[in-house]
Amino acid sequence: MTATELIQIITGFLGSLGFAILYNIRGKKLIAASLGGFFSWTLYILLGFGIQSEALRYFLVALLLSGYAELMAKLFKTPTTTFVIISLIPLIPGGSLYYTMASVFESDLNLFLDNAVHTLELAMALALGIVATSAIAKMVRKKG
Amino acid sequence: MKELLSCAMDIGEQMLICGAEVHRVEDSIQRMCLARGARRIDVFIITSSMVATVYTEAGDTYTQTRRITSTGTDIERLHRLNALSRKICCEAMTAEQIRDEYQKILGCKKYPFGLECLFCAIITGSFTLFFGGNFVEAGVSFVLGVCIQLLVTFTEKAGMNKIFIKFICSFLASSLAFLAVKLGMIPDIDKVIIGNIMMLIPGVGLTNALRDLFTGDSIAGLLRLIEALLVALAIGGGYFLFVCTVGGL
Repeated sequence: MTATELIQIITGFLGSLGFAILYNIRGKKLIAASLGGFFSWTLYILLGFGIQSEALRYFLVALLLSGYAELMAKLFKTPTTTFVIISLIPLIPGGSLYYTMASVFESDLNLFLDNAVHTLELAMALALGIVATSAIAKMVRKKG
Repeated sequence: MKELLSCAMDIGEQMLICGAEVHRVEDSIQRMCLARGARRIDVFIITSSMVATVYTEAGDTYTQTRRITSTGTDIERLHRLNALSRKICCEAMTAEQIRDEYQKILGCKKYPFGLECLFCAIITGSFTLFFGGNFVEAGVSFVLGVCIQLLVTFTEKAGMNKIFIKFICSFLASSLAFLAVKLGMIPDIDKVIIGNIMMLIPGVGLTNALRDLFTGDSIAGLLRLIEALLVALAIGGGYFLFVCTVGGL
């Protein structure tokens, strides 16, 4: 693991913690939710050793971390939203969104399209992961 | 029953405002009423409006609607409302008891304002580092985070339109970052702006939009999705206005 990756894991955790505070999450839930942010980026980097595709890694992390969120929600008897929102914050493609915006001014259509498609790919992967888990969780809950 | 429906609607309304998914709120109201002897209950909720009709064993029907105009994510409040709704389902509480508990929940505290500002700054600073900025850039971003939180709080208190607030914030963040470049503190504005964009992006809105959309509440989901997209456009708009003002990068 490189220094950059280590910094990303730490700052990803701090960012999640920050949002957890802003959304008024308290007590042990605060720790569980911010740890979700830590796990998500750690997992993303670990998956990078086997999987090249960024989008696929986004999907898998979103899938697993939403599962983590469902578990925590069960444990703390609280709505799942709490943990889903916070855990997946490091995955928000803010950087690639910005570069898409900035490339509008580069008058280079290809660069813009590349960036836009990349952002969309990541966002879709993230969305699919969240949706898949919430569908599975709903099924499990109905049976149980 | 009328009293109970009114209590259930109050609880549901607050849950929705605090950031619950539509499905959860509908489910909570249904359970509360059914547990208290309703024969049948129909609830329909979208992000801005709620309608519920209860049919009692005695043959009476009651309908209530609520219009929801504000949102403000508050997970602790949501957690407590959720707990209260479960309690109503399994314990025999009188309407007064429910009202009491409900008022107590509304009075529950948020983190102090200073702490919120600090953590806003930590968010923006962290994500500047996260996306490859150095520590000076993170420092600038940190200061900008405080400015943005102050601006958001101030304009929200003044009752300004939420989307327009994001527009102003985005413009301010870009301009201040540009100022820092002109002062020679940082080489370019990219990383600082990214840190601040992460702060402004409507994460809760988008996540809830998806969860609503794919659990069968397509109208509510679409409404939330459009709201989130408008906010995203406003953020982009603020940045574009800045670039046009300074005349290209």
